[in-house]
Amino acid sequence: MWKFTIRRMLIVIPQIILLSVLVFVLAKMMPGDALTGQLDPDASQESIDNIREKLGWNDPWYQQYGNWVVDLSKGDLGQSFTYKMPVTELIGQRLKNTVWLSLFSVILIYVISVPLGIISGRYNDSILDHAITGYTYLGFATPLFIFALVMLWVFGYHFGWFPTSGSVAPGMEPGSLEYVMSRFKHLLLPSISLALIGVVGTVQYLRSEIIDTKQKDFITTARAKGASESRVYNRHILRNSLLPIAAFFGYEVVNLISGTIFVEMIYGYPGMGQLFLEVIQLRDYSVVTSLVLLYGIAAVVGTLLSDITLSIVDPRIRIK
Amino acid sequence: MSILRIEDLRVHFPIKGGIFGRTVDHVKAVDGVSLEIEKGTTYGLVGESGSGKTTTGRAVVGLNHMTTGKVFFEDKQIMNFGKRKSGLHKDVQMIFQDPYSSLNGRKRVLDIIAEPLRNFERLSKAEERKRVQELLELVGLSPESILKYPHQFSGGQRQRIGIARAIALKPKLIIADEPVSALDVSVQAQVLNFLQDIQKELDLTLLFISHDLGVIRHMCERIGIMYKGRFVEEGTTDDIFHNPQHIYTKRLVAAIPDIDPKQRDASFDIRQEVEVEWNEAYNKYFDEHGLAYQLQPISDTHLVALPERG
Amino acid sequence: MAKEVVETTEQNEDSNISPSGLRVFWIEILRDKLALGSLIFFVLVTLTVFIGSALLDLDEITKIDPLSRFLPPSSEHILGTDTGGREIFGQLIYGTRNSLVIGILVTAMSGTIGVLVGLVSGYFGGHTDNVLMRVLDFFLILPFLMIVIIFVSLVPKYTITSFSLIMTAFLWMGIARLVRSKALQERELDYVNASKTLGTSNITIMFSHVFPNITSIIIVNMTLSLASNIGIESGLSFLGFGFPESTPSLGTLLSYATNPTTLEKRWWVWAPAAILILLLMLSVRNVGEALKRAADAQQRRGT
Repeated sequence: MWKFTIRRMLIVIPQIILLSVLVFVLAKMMPGDALTGQLDPDASQESIDNIREKLGWNDPWYQQYGNWVVDLSKGDLGQSFTYKMPVTELIGQRLKNTVWLSLFSVILIYVISVPLGIISGRYNDSILDHAITGYTYLGFATPLFIFALVMLWVFGYHFGWFPTSGSVAPGMEPGSLEYVMSRFKHLLLPSISLALIGVVGTVQYLRSEIIDTKQKDFITTARAKGASESRVYNRHILRNSLLPIAAFFGYEVVNLISGTIFVEMIYGYPGMGQLFLEVIQLRDYSVVTSLVLLYGIAAVVGTLLSDITLSIVDPRIRIK
Repeated sequence: MSILRIEDLRVHFPIKGGIFGRTVDHVKAVDGVSLEIEKGTTYGLVGESGSGKTTTGRAVVGLNHMTTGKVFFEDKQIMNFGKRKSGLHKDVQMIFQDPYSSLNGRKRVLDIIAEPLRNFERLSKAEERKRVQELLELVGLSPESILKYPHQFSGGQRQRIGIARAIALKPKLIIADEPVSALDVSVQAQVLNFLQDIQKELDLTLLFISHDLGVIRHMCERIGIMYKGRFVEEGTTDDIFHNPQHIYTKRLVAAIPDIDPKQRDASFDIRQEVEVEWNEAYNKYFDEHGLAYQLQPISDTHLVALPERG
Repeated sequence: MAKEVVETTEQNEDSNISPSGLRVFWIEILRDKLALGSLIFFVLVTLTVFIGSALLDLDEITKIDPLSRFLPPSSEHILGTDTGGREIFGQLIYGTRNSLVIGILVTAMSGTIGVLVGLVSGYFGGHTDNVLMRVLDFFLILPFLMIVIIFVSLVPKYTITSFSLIMTAFLWMGIARLVRSKALQERELDYVNASKTLGTSNITIMFSHVFPNITSIIIVNMTLSLASNIGIESGLSFLGFGFPESTPSLGTLLSYATNPTTLEKRWWVWAPAAILILLLMLSVRNVGEALKRAADAQQRRGT
């Protein structure tokens, strides 16, 4: 087990390095630089050159890369020239919002998918199972953004049950109960949209896993020994099928990344995804690269965590 | 003149381990095998599964990488079988054990048998078709079946297609890797007899790999017995069946079922004796790792793996 | 030598089916009414939009008419008009065609790359496989949507071609993995060894021996990716990083819905596109699922 874990963790190092190089190269390829918009438009070419020299932009690329990495490790992501503030500060609040959205969605995904999957698997070929299977089938073919639009249209505008944009109603006192409730209300519709589409994979997996396990010999043996039906399910089948699902936690988070970008845009939710779409149009590249790096690292770490927990839960994976 | 000579062939597979996947040990599938086959004869390679007999055959045609050792074909060393320029594909061919997986299910019989022809001979479509039909007839299949697919044939017929493919280029040596083990017993004799016919007709040399002593006895002039990657005994069919020296060979020979019911008690007694000897003299025949010793000649034709005396 | 001409043994009833797999697919689709209906629907839509866009005048459709902004559906404007007074119906025809073209193009290109990488990786194995798979792993951890958006905004002369190339560059991994794992299995089979000993070159073995044995799963996978690629394209266009401006697509029609008033009150602008995307993806998926069933059954039977 340790061998797999350590080997898997070692792979992360080149992945992160490659990712950072890619992000760096992208940043260099982008037109304009962080000086654009920061300087007095009347500044002479000479003074611009001076600043460039001082900031080290005439150094060879590997030195620049090195400096950039050193800054990164100190938590310095550079300056946003549109917002005129350090990127870390700019991203801070957005990051919190996105983390809340993702976390809430993942919880919803589990809360919805586990019972659906169990019902569907345990009573397979019942009417309920057919309904659930039909839902997952449709869910697979529905792009999240269309679903989110329709949800917003129906529940946000038509019924007016939910706020249609923002993360909190204006004029609330942070820390008050009202404030928390308002945030919660703003979070609800986006995360329900994410979750209802996000569950389909897990439901299908759980269903087929349970149906598979049901037919295994050790289940027949358990029944033959007189174990009650609920004992068979709770002790034998679910234990086998639910552990991997729990280990999927990391993958679920990774899968949500592109989803949050759509959902944040549609619901006007001020998270990192919305910020990304905003700054890429403004060509504020120091923010763009920081966001890509953050999402990339999140993906790397999420996959790593799931891979390792999965290898503990299911030893077959370690053989390779 | 020998057609094939193998000198001290070793095929070791690495075992990967540790965090960085370094090679920590080796599986010694073939561990120092030497043999020589005379032109026009059949050499039998016998052993239980995992004894390295198949790996030996596959190493000769380059399907397994030789760790060390030399292979000579007609006194010329085979350096790189894989290269088409070597021309060895024309002279050395292989018949595979499984008649199902060894034929590509997506190809017609015509394409399967014509594959070697297309690689080495430039024939027109009509010539190629004629050759394939001749080959089919030679292996006893209807020439009309060239447009059929492998799944339309039975196991024995499929093996014949495999043989037709192997002899298409008129090779001098064929390595037959358990060619009948996957077939029904009723079809086995048919295919074996037919292999012998073809051998006579084309003056073929066969390296016949099998775990079935009965089949080997029927087919071979010379026999090598393998155990855990090494030879335990080598000799003519007569040497092996009537004068087995190594305890492993004795056990194998004693285990051959006898059809004559009157002999039943006698063969049972022999088996008992051999079993006793196996238990008592095991250490005499195998070294501390349970492996066979080097071969020592005990007659002109007969070699046995015994510890060096003195 | 005895010339015993052996007749083909009697086989089960499907012995006359050529193992090409295409017939098996066809039979399964005919049997599955949903898949058949979906296929007919897809073909009809495709024909309509291609013929329609050939007949309709693009300039006419994209001409801005300030006097007829946001008109609801009427006999004059079948599906109403958009913010520029442009006919939705015409844009829908053009947009669907564009979305389909991109979807098919991207599927074909990413499929080709994926099959090549997968075949090479799986067939040769060893170090080749190791290197290619590490590259693939790296592509997999990239945040797809963001990277594509960055490239789209970076490319100087942005066209439909560059759009499909960018999408392709980050969509080949799934099929590459699938083909690799199949090729790894196939290369252990004796027909590959036989071809090697017969002197057939690796390239020929890969493409004319191994490839035909895995075509059915490739077809299945590519059908299913066509469905998802149509969705990805419309998603990107919806965000404004898909089709170049002024080129209608299903996604650009949907992006009108980012305007709250349009979303709330002018459903005719975006709803038809949304429904069409859903129906297209669903129908392609239905066909894909039927093909998958056929391929699985075929694999179980081992032909």
